[in-house]
Amino acid sequence: MQPIGADEAAPSAVPLTVQQVPTARRRRLPGLPLWLRLLLSNPKSRMGLMIVFGMFAVGVLAPWLATHDPTAYSLLDAKQSPSWNHFFGTTDQGTDIWSQVVWGTRNSLFLGFAAATLATVLAATLGILAAYCGGWVDDLINFATNVFLVIPTIPLLIVTSSYLKSRGSLSMVLILGLTLWAFEARILRAQALTLRNRDFILAARVAGEPTWRIVVYELMPNMISRIAAAFVLVFYISLLTAAGLQFLGLGDMNSQSWGVTLYWAQVNSAVLQGEWWPFLFPGVALALTVLGLVLILAGLDEVSNPRLRKPPKQGRGMISGLFLGHGRAK
Amino acid sequence: MRWLLRRCCFYVFALWVAVTLNFLLPRLMPGDPAGGMLARMSSAQIASNPGIIETYRRMLGGGDQSLLEAYFSYLGQIGRLDFGISTSNYPTNVSEVIGRTLPYSIFLVGVAFILAFVIGTTIGMVAAWRRGGTVDNVVVPTMLALGAFPAFFTSLVAVYFFGLKLGWFPLQHAYDTELTPGFNYAFLESAFRHAQLPIIVITLAFAGGWVLNMRTVMINTIEEDYVAMAEAKGLPDRRVMTRYAGRNAILPPLNGFAAQFAGAVGGLVFIEFVFSYPGAGFTLQQAALGSDYPLTQGLLLVFAVCVIVANFVMDLLNVVLDPRVRTA
Repeated sequence: MQPIGADEAAPSAVPLTVQQVPTARRRRLPGLPLWLRLLLSNPKSRMGLMIVFGMFAVGVLAPWLATHDPTAYSLLDAKQSPSWNHFFGTTDQGTDIWSQVVWGTRNSLFLGFAAATLATVLAATLGILAAYCGGWVDDLINFATNVFLVIPTIPLLIVTSSYLKSRGSLSMVLILGLTLWAFEARILRAQALTLRNRDFILAARVAGEPTWRIVVYELMPNMISRIAAAFVLVFYISLLTAAGLQFLGLGDMNSQSWGVTLYWAQVNSAVLQGEWWPFLFPGVALALTVLGLVLILAGLDEVSNPRLRKPPKQGRGMISGLFLGHGRAK
Repeated sequence: MRWLLRRCCFYVFALWVAVTLNFLLPRLMPGDPAGGMLARMSSAQIASNPGIIETYRRMLGGGDQSLLEAYFSYLGQIGRLDFGISTSNYPTNVSEVIGRTLPYSIFLVGVAFILAFVIGTTIGMVAAWRRGGTVDNVVVPTMLALGAFPAFFTSLVAVYFFGLKLGWFPLQHAYDTELTPGFNYAFLESAFRHAQLPIIVITLAFAGGWVLNMRTVMINTIEEDYVAMAEAKGLPDRRVMTRYAGRNAILPPLNGFAAQFAGAVGGLVFIEFVFSYPGAGFTLQQAALGSDYPLTQGLLLVFAVCVIVANFVMDLLNVVLDPRVRTA
């Protein structure tokens, strides 16, 4: 390979996804970034994006949407079923569940998002480093990842958080991020491995670019869509895990979040007393958000892997227009 | 054979990491867990157990030993399976508490996980074989939606509807509280009746993952030449699906078993908490809330061992199912 000719190969590495945009769609949604247009053109991820953005909007607007102080005890109003005064009813202590769920949306999403960001930064760094460097670096990181995958996450988190003196948001973000990176690192390492021996990387190496530059300017831009997909996956898992820890009474119990509301419902045995509202509403909020994220992931999968889409025979006619890659040979 | 040996070495190392994490965590955390625990015990309890202060110092740190010294005496103690005395079940030993609660959990998660695997992969296989059929269009989305819901939420809803409103299943506990555990018909029947709903919930929660994995791999496998060849030979449809496409497609999902099982062990904690089921998961939650550190340490180690053993069994199964592993 000649160094001079190889140098010019690098800029020609265009992300694959560009070719998949159908021209009709591109014209109809101008001004939006490419990745968003792609996601919006798939019915699953469009639905998912709508749900998730809706939940984020609730979180942002929490101070205006909440009708009561979520911590205001009032034994006169205890155990009320949903009504116009209390949309989601009240708890055994008479606190307003609607306000708790609305404020909880803000805190739960923040906690999940922050923990997922930390986990993704760790996973992307370690995964890409392992794949690119190879050799003993790869062995070491891969080994550490596998060990972490064998130690069950939830029990580890339970034990760790039981040692914490105060379980504030920051410490919860830290322990969640530090336990959830492993499987994401594994995914990203596998994907970075497939890129490692592409021509443009070899070209950059032959041209004498330093390792950090190849990783940051050559590998990263081509990994961005995969990192984003892994982030959505970890976001969904950290949301569930954080809510689960709070449900067990091991989270930041002084704040408002879905898990905390669920914990009090369980401690007051709401279910056994036939009260469905203390656990249904926070649970549905969590399940809906998770469903939105799962739909985004499913859409992402279909956009990047044409084989998973509905077979063309099925979709011909009125539905076919909704699917990407229609009319194109598999 | 060499491959299995390497796996064994890996598992021993993973176990060592779990033990070391157990040792380091209380020492890295701010505060003094051992001091906090001793402060909660009455002076009579401390007086009646002469070695207890030393035991807790050894397990949780804060003594005057150096870190390395403390580490080796800790390893020795774990090697003798001595986790100390559980403060929330005083004066019972931690190993005794674990021995009492673990069988319930193993029963629950063992049955549910095997059911989830069998049902999930079968549905995934059939769905991919008949793309766009009833199974693919109705059953798969339902399973995925159920699997996406948090397990504790599904179980709360299940307790409310099937336990409280319809009265089909008992609401809580592992057996009727009047009965004493033992090998007699009344107890086993009661235990079985109480386990039904938790098992159904865990199965539904984890089948979704298998369905998705299996379907994805199967869709790719179907396009292989040997499947077309089998069809061309005129083999019965079902035989091609199970023996040709299915058997090959099942290997990649099997390799995701480690993460799935670790997840199931975690999900177990929530479901046992909802059902107040006296297994190891519920005990772990209670111990963590009550700062019963000897018990939480012991249970974390037990959970890690369970996942490692399950992984090892799956490795053995992999050797049976995939001839390529045997020669490697």
